[in-house]
Amino acid sequence: MLSLFVLFFLSLSGLLYAKSSDGNTVLVIVEEAQKDEFSVFFDDLKAEGYSLSFRSPKADKPALVEYDVPSFSHVVILAPESKHFAKDITPQSLVELVSGGTNLLIALSAKQTPLSSLAAEFSLVLPPAGTPLLSFFPERTDPPSLIPISPPSTSNILSSDLAPVWFSGIPFALGSNPLLFPILPAPPESFAGDVNSGADALVDAAEKNGEGLWAGSQVSVVAGFQAAGGARVTWIGGVDMLKDSLFQKPVSKNVKSGNAKLTRDITAWTFQENLVLRIDRTEHHLVNSTESLESYTTNDNIVFTAYISHFNPKSGDWKPYSGIQDMQLEFTMLDPHLRIPLPFVPNTPGKYSTTFRAPDRHGVFKFVVNYKRKGWTHLHSSTTVAVVPPRHDGYPRFLSAAWPFYIGAISTSVGFFLFSAAWLAGESRDGKKAKGTKAQ
Amino acid sequence: MPPKSTPAQTSAPASTNALQTLWQAYNDQTSNRLKFIDSFLIFLMLSGIVQFLYCVLVTTYPYNAFLAGFSSTVGQFVLTASLRSQVNPENKNEFKEVSPERAFADFALGSIVLHFFVFNFLG
Repeated sequence: MLSLFVLFFLSLSGLLYAKSSDGNTVLVIVEEAQKDEFSVFFDDLKAEGYSLSFRSPKADKPALVEYDVPSFSHVVILAPESKHFAKDITPQSLVELVSGGTNLLIALSAKQTPLSSLAAEFSLVLPPAGTPLLSFFPERTDPPSLIPISPPSTSNILSSDLAPVWFSGIPFALGSNPLLFPILPAPPESFAGDVNSGADALVDAAEKNGEGLWAGSQVSVVAGFQAAGGARVTWIGGVDMLKDSLFQKPVSKNVKSGNAKLTRDITAWTFQENLVLRIDRTEHHLVNSTESLESYTTNDNIVFTAYISHFNPKSGDWKPYSGIQDMQLEFTMLDPHLRIPLPFVPNTPGKYSTTFRAPDRHGVFKFVVNYKRKGWTHLHSSTTVAVVPPRHDGYPRFLSAAWPFYIGAISTSVGFFLFSAAWLAGESRDGKKAKGTKAQ
Repeated sequence: MPPKSTPAQTSAPASTNALQTLWQAYNDQTSNRLKFIDSFLIFLMLSGIVQFLYCVLVTTYPYNAFLAGFSSTVGQFVLTASLRSQVNPENKNEFKEVSPERAFADFALGSIVLHFFVFNFLG
């Protein structure tokens, strides 16, 4: 009986427990007919604790946004072939959704659809329609458009022990947007071209000095985008990557493909499980004091402290995090007057602190922490304080070095006084003299 | 005969003569009253020079004190110099409206205002 209760509570906690720091409701937009092709992917997500809702691209329900509030924490779009979407799924509405904090996972294919114009909003440059990624290496019996890709060994999003993954789809060049970064680069010997014409694309491009060729490891097949508002968007060049058939297809003898694990890594990042940070609070005060002031005096020694937490997807809670090595604090009035390292405090988890002398400049300053690294949540904190000049009794007065000036000023005054006295005395004497001379 | 030596020999006594003549003329023709003003002017000038040299050679640190001390001598010099020109009998035609008493009252009032600002700025 007791064990039954325990089981009940365990299952309840399993339901309540959010794997993601951002909620566990997921809307999957997929054609009803293709739903079964992704069954392993969906089952994995359900096993992680996400509640999945499904919607056909042309269906109206369930709505993405209801009463101006996004209905789902995460949206997965697996409909790369659909030319027509329902009225509320447009590039504009999806961009708005991302600004509102909803995470997106979007899979593309070689076909030109409304999603291709959405890709341009994220500064992805797609190859022309109908040119998937091709590679003739390594030699294999599969068609050249079905490529095994070895994941990069140094990536903070992907697991380090991934087996090669099967990929079939388009690559994209990454524009100059600093929020965009590659997750899975294309193999160096691959290129985008027409399936039937083989390597003709290479010959054509060679005549034009490589212009207009999507090739090599500079293009990506999976890219991540961390929006300014904190939402995450992942673009996958080929929807087939998530299908059961490629999940199960062995990459070599007795080696399972890495697709399932890679997909899990990608969803873990996109759904804000991994690499999620937040600033719990910031403090500032004078050295040898604990009281936070609204205004500091020029040249004061100020201590600034930030407390940072990291989301732990295993336990679903926030833990103090001391792993950031390169955070900086800026003390800004229009420009940063100071930009100094903000190192972690040893033996105090999650605490980052630094001491500095305020500049000899008064005005309205801000303590700014602005930590933006690819893949990690952007940290931004800004606290406004006034820096004022010393009060009339806040600095030494009547210094010994200034005595010549004091003596100068006093002697001028005394001189003026004596001069006036003598002048008036002389005047009366002159007056008497003048009278006397007149009398004579 | 070197032509340069003669003018050199004659010019040196000539210049000393000129200075002496100037000094004598000043002593003879200037009233005691103006001489008294002149001595005050010389005192102010020396005081200002000393402060300026101290500021340049030693320290500018309490810069406000330097400004106050130096400007008090300069201001007092200007006021005293204008007093001198107004009470000089030779300038009577220029200052018909201004009697020596009135000139002194202006001088005293201007000086008091000046010293008020100087002592405010000194500390």
